Amino acid sequence: MIEVAQLRKEYGDLVAVGGVSFTAETGAIFGLLGPNGAGKTTTIGCISGLLEPTAGTVRVRGHDVVREGTRAKASLGVVPQEIALYEDLSAGENVRFWGQAYGLGGSKLRARMTDVLEITGLLDRADDRVDQFSGGMKRRLNFACGIVHEPQVLLLDEPTVGVDPQSRVRLLDLVREQANQGVCVLYTTHYMEEAQSMCDRLAIIDHGHIIAQGSLEELQAQMGERDLVRVSGSFDENDLRRVFSRDEDVEVVTVDDAQATLSVRQASSKLPTLLAALTRADSEVRDITVSQPSLESLFIKLTGKELRE
Amino acid sequence: MRFLLATVVKDLIRRRRDPIALLLWTGIPLAIGGLIFLAFGGDDAGPSGRLLVADQDHTVLSALLTGAYQQGPLAEIIEVEVVELEEGHERIDAGEASGLLIIPEGFSAAVLESEPFEISLVRNPAQRIVPGIIEESLSLVVESTFYLQRLFGEPLDVIVGTQPDDANVVPDSTVASVSVAFDQIVDRTRPYLFPPVIELETTSPGGDEEGFDFARLFFPSMLFMALLFMAQGLSEDIWRERSQGTLRRVIATPQRVATFLVGKLLAGAMLMLVVIGLGLIAGRWVFGIELHGLPMALVWTTFAGMMLLAMMVLVQLFASSERTGNILTGAAIFPLAMLGGSFFPFEAMPDWLASVGRYTPNGWALTKLNQVFAGELPALDLLQSIAAVALVIVVFVWLSMRRIRGRFAHS
Ligand SMILES: Nc1ncnc2c1ncn2[C@@H]1O[C@H](COP(=O)(O)OP(=O)(O)O)[C@@H](O)[C@H]1O
Ligand SMILES: [Mg+2]
Repeated sequence: MIEVAQLRKEYGDLVAVGGVSFTAETGAIFGLLGPNGAGKTTTIGCISGLLEPTAGTVRVRGHDVVREGTRAKASLGVVPQEIALYEDLSAGENVRFWGQAYGLGGSKLRARMTDVLEITGLLDRADDRVDQFSGGMKRRLNFACGIVHEPQVLLLDEPTVGVDPQSRVRLLDLVREQANQGVCVLYTTHYMEEAQSMCDRLAIIDHGHIIAQGSLEELQAQMGERDLVRVSGSFDENDLRRVFSRDEDVEVVTVDDAQATLSVRQASSKLPTLLAALTRADSEVRDITVSQPSLESLFIKLTGKELRE
Repeated sequence: MRFLLATVVKDLIRRRRDPIALLLWTGIPLAIGGLIFLAFGGDDAGPSGRLLVADQDHTVLSALLTGAYQQGPLAEIIEVEVVELEEGHERIDAGEASGLLIIPEGFSAAVLESEPFEISLVRNPAQRIVPGIIEESLSLVVESTFYLQRLFGEPLDVIVGTQPDDANVVPDSTVASVSVAFDQIVDRTRPYLFPPVIELETTSPGGDEEGFDFARLFFPSMLFMALLFMAQGLSEDIWRERSQGTLRRVIATPQRVATFLVGKLLAGAMLMLVVIGLGLIAGRWVFGIELHGLPMALVWTTFAGMMLLAMMVLVQLFASSERTGNILTGAAIFPLAMLGGSFFPFEAMPDWLASVGRYTPNGWALTKLNQVFAGELPALDLLQSIAAVALVIVVFVWLSMRRIRGRFAHS
């Protein structure tokens, strides 16, 4: 279990994480979804004891990471966003070293080495040097090194970035497997689909703040029955806002010269009225798309911007 | 404890995969040592020659250049004779000398203003080794004159009495070239070292007592030069630990950073132990140098090497980038080696310089090593010195650890 309370991390004037609180439960995957620079890695860094929080507390299985660092770290497994491996050692030697770093030894270590190399599909490459590996293989080995000591709490920082589709599927299965075995998994990503399919609970983070939190259903409920309608063409912002100001079913999320994003209740049946209103607002409509409520539409609704920028 | 061992093993395995670097660090001092041994080790049958110098510059600097051949090791093989240019050409054509060095007018001014300038060396085509040694030592002397000018520009100006504008600016590029200077020396001397060594051995079998004394004089310096190179080379690895992300991963484990650092130092020390051990064996039994207290010498030199490594690691940690770190440590080696008796032994240095040099870490350790070799260092003194070295290492590790936890691991 990870308990993060009012966590804050500043770099000089820059607030990388500004008062984040959440709890990740045992046997489940807790997702931290947010765009690049949102503060995900910084949060993970504070939990893993790599960074010292400016304020707030982090507890791992009840142990405060600042005051009882060694005990907190002992139950943690970390799979960093940047691959952290010895390029000039073999896959097996890497796994062995990181196992030893968590106090494993002897036959137990040997058994675990075989296990993790096996499940990551690297057993037949165990004696090959890491600098001969592909990106996907390195990612899998990076993961193997993070779980060799059977941690009860696992921190995964964007583990699928830059991975080939095959390795990706394999990695995601492995993560699910860990949670099923009772591990508390914290999973950060900027891929909405990944968060949606993988995580039991989620926090959406932007500019160092959590802007929404809950289970997938709870988050989708926040979005309401509303669909997201993206219109491209040319618009006058004031006219557009005026036209829809009285309509309860339509909310203008963003507008600029060439694009407008609207949050609309039951958009499919409202499209004709919508188009009529747009014409009244002197808009020119070139293209219109309707999407069902999703994490992405929630993100857009909450922040007024797309997740992938 | 188990993690300490794991770190040592891990680093030793990694080192074994990079034998070229190991060869390089130990090969450079060996090559330089070989050159000097070549110069000293032989008896009358060894190389010797006459260098004619036509000095048209007539300044302190040109005299300094000529003087380099009249001192220390080179004086033993090269006899310098100052001549007029005409006469010099005539005599070299007649094959009466190994080389003719021509220092044209304006040399001194050009050096002080860091302008490109040519001095020429006419080699006797009939000879091979001695002109080679002259040529190589010449470029070494010219280079060091150049560096001296860059590093101590002002005092040098005072001596010579001119006043260039930008003498005490030390640009980055200069510092960088200091660190590569040794490589160049070795590169250049290689052709003269290897094949001729064999030729020479056939002409001067055995070697006499005198030869052994010279080797004995240079031998400890060579060991320390190897240690300095190793310390610098090994210290770079801390940047690799950082760029590979492994340093951060270590911090996320329940282990102490200090354990990890000490493990790295121990791995380095073990390599030094092997290199020094082989060096001692070679010195004692291959070259027949009279050395006492070999086990003590081995222990002491290894501790000293570990201290140098800890020092270099600390310098790396306080540098702003890997490049800067390597330039800083590279630039530190040059004066340390020169001053600390690791290039030319203290006995071959002016007294005042030697007495300063004995206060450098390597110079201090070298002095003790010489006492061990001479059988003059009491066991208690050695133990105290080892304790002092251990204490220094502890302080360096503590500072390094703070630096790593503070800033080094993050940005
Ligand atoms: N060492 C650092 N020094 C200064 N700013 C940093 C540092 N590390 C991260 N930041 C800043 O903190 C913010 C959050 O970064 P990060 O946690 O890496 O985001 P994410 O992992 O979500 O992409 C960014 O604006 C980033 O530029
Ligand atoms: Mg990140």
